[in-house]
Amino acid sequence: MIEVQNLTKRYAGVTAVDGVSFTVNRGEICGFLGPNGAGKSTTMKILSGFMPATSGQATVAGHDVFTESEEVRTRIGYMPENNPLYPDMRVTEYLGYRAALKGVPRAKRKARIDEVLQLCGLSDVRRRIVGQLSKGYKQRVGLADSLVHDPDLLILDEPTIGLDPNQIRQVRQLIKDLGKRHTILISTHILPEVEMTCNRVIIINKGKIVASDTPENLTKMLEGGGTVRAEIRGERAAIERGLRGLPGVKDVQIEAGNDDFLRATIYAPPRSDVRVHVFEVAAANRWTLRELSRVRQTLEDVFAFITMKEAPVKEEEGK
Amino acid sequence: MSNLFTLWRRELAAYFLSPIAYLVLLSFLVLNAVSFLLMVNFMDGRTTDASVMQSFFNTFFYWVAMLFVVPVITMKLFAEEKRMGTLETLMTAPVSDASVVQSKFLGAMTFFAIMWLPTVAYAWILNYFAKDATPIDWGPVCAAYGGTLLVGLLYISLGLMASSFTHNQIVAAIVGFVLIAVIFFLGFLSRIGPTWVQAFFGYLASVEHMSDFARGQIDLRRVLFYISATVFILFVTQKIVESRKWR
Repeated sequence: MIEVQNLTKRYAGVTAVDGVSFTVNRGEICGFLGPNGAGKSTTMKILSGFMPATSGQATVAGHDVFTESEEVRTRIGYMPENNPLYPDMRVTEYLGYRAALKGVPRAKRKARIDEVLQLCGLSDVRRRIVGQLSKGYKQRVGLADSLVHDPDLLILDEPTIGLDPNQIRQVRQLIKDLGKRHTILISTHILPEVEMTCNRVIIINKGKIVASDTPENLTKMLEGGGTVRAEIRGERAAIERGLRGLPGVKDVQIEAGNDDFLRATIYAPPRSDVRVHVFEVAAANRWTLRELSRVRQTLEDVFAFITMKEAPVKEEEGK
Repeated sequence: MSNLFTLWRRELAAYFLSPIAYLVLLSFLVLNAVSFLLMVNFMDGRTTDASVMQSFFNTFFYWVAMLFVVPVITMKLFAEEKRMGTLETLMTAPVSDASVVQSKFLGAMTFFAIMWLPTVAYAWILNYFAKDATPIDWGPVCAAYGGTLLVGLLYISLGLMASSFTHNQIVAAIVGFVLIAVIFFLGFLSRIGPTWVQAFFGYLASVEHMSDFARGQIDLRRVLFYISATVFILFVTQKIVESRKWR
């Protein structure tokens, strides 16, 4: 669906996107993940035909986004960052205008608008003025707009920014449902969002792609990390000494819990399992063991691991 | 083509969805009504060398309206879309930059024409109440309206270009006003200096042109000047809008 090769975009002296290459297959929900200013929005603006790249190539459904821009734009539903809308129009008026602009035939327009209103849960506010809607509803109007011409590809730039947790959940569910019919490229810096909605993640940092895989595989990268959490009752110093003495344990952190149990975090190298040793040492010392579990690595850890790793190096380069 | 129509309709509707449009319409009509009343009062019972309708298109009020109202009409065209970010949704729809520029121009032009429409009543009022004193000669009146639209073409395209420079409406209005005022005042150079200077700036002398039009004198050179200058400025505007692609 999307093929990007060596895409580079330079603004006056700043390289926003630096030789990025990736593909998104038909039917995928692909998460575009990165800290603010990583080049997510720029890449999306290029793909949607708003501006061309400095160099490199990008095609959508086999059409080049620079030379066949209008052709590409009829196939894309793009929702820019901050979801700009005309505040002075009614919801149906706005969607009617956008549908006409995107070439939905007059005869089909009304039915199609009813369909997207239904899909986005906007039926109750169809006569309301866009500017007076709550942020959550506005966001859905933006989504409805990007959907109205039934595009093959949806490009959504931070669609859940500024929403409250309930609205975020609703929008995510909506995106998930849309993923059954459309290919979606969604950008965000909120990690749980990607874990929940996407079946592939591209992590971009400082204009470069640093990782690209399924969320599961990415978390697995760190999952081998054998960090274990335990709740133990006993004498603190003795416990710390005992745990540190275990084979493979690199570090132990102990903090007091709410009751007389201590919470211990035991750091061990990847692909090792120190749980058995922890149990044995607890049994030998007659400590009461209440919890013993591996810490599940989230995408958040992967993200921090990948993006932080590079940051200090770059800073030194600057000096 | 259907895109152009859709875009034009949105541009025109946008005027009537904002309070500024009604404010502009109201102040424009008040200004013209004062101008008309003063003129009728002044000419009542006197012998003048121009008719009321002829003078109406070349008063101080007429030019104040043209110079100040046009930038207010055009200031929002691109500036507002840039500020709100809707330029991005607009330009990523399958529409060409040219049709966006043209639709904005035509939308403003339509609003401009609508603004002038009520003043047709003045001619009718004169014709109805003062048939014997000043019979209306409809030919020159039509020519004067045609001339107004021609001057409007040029001024609105200048205002539109000013709006494409910036995302600040106030800046757009001021720049638009300055551009229009420069063209307007350069026209006065046609009254001084050597002959070739006079001849050259004669092409810009909107005041002279309007007095010709109001007399019913349609000079094809004037018509061509306004149309070709407008086309050129719209072309430049389109390049400015496209400039986001090569900056």
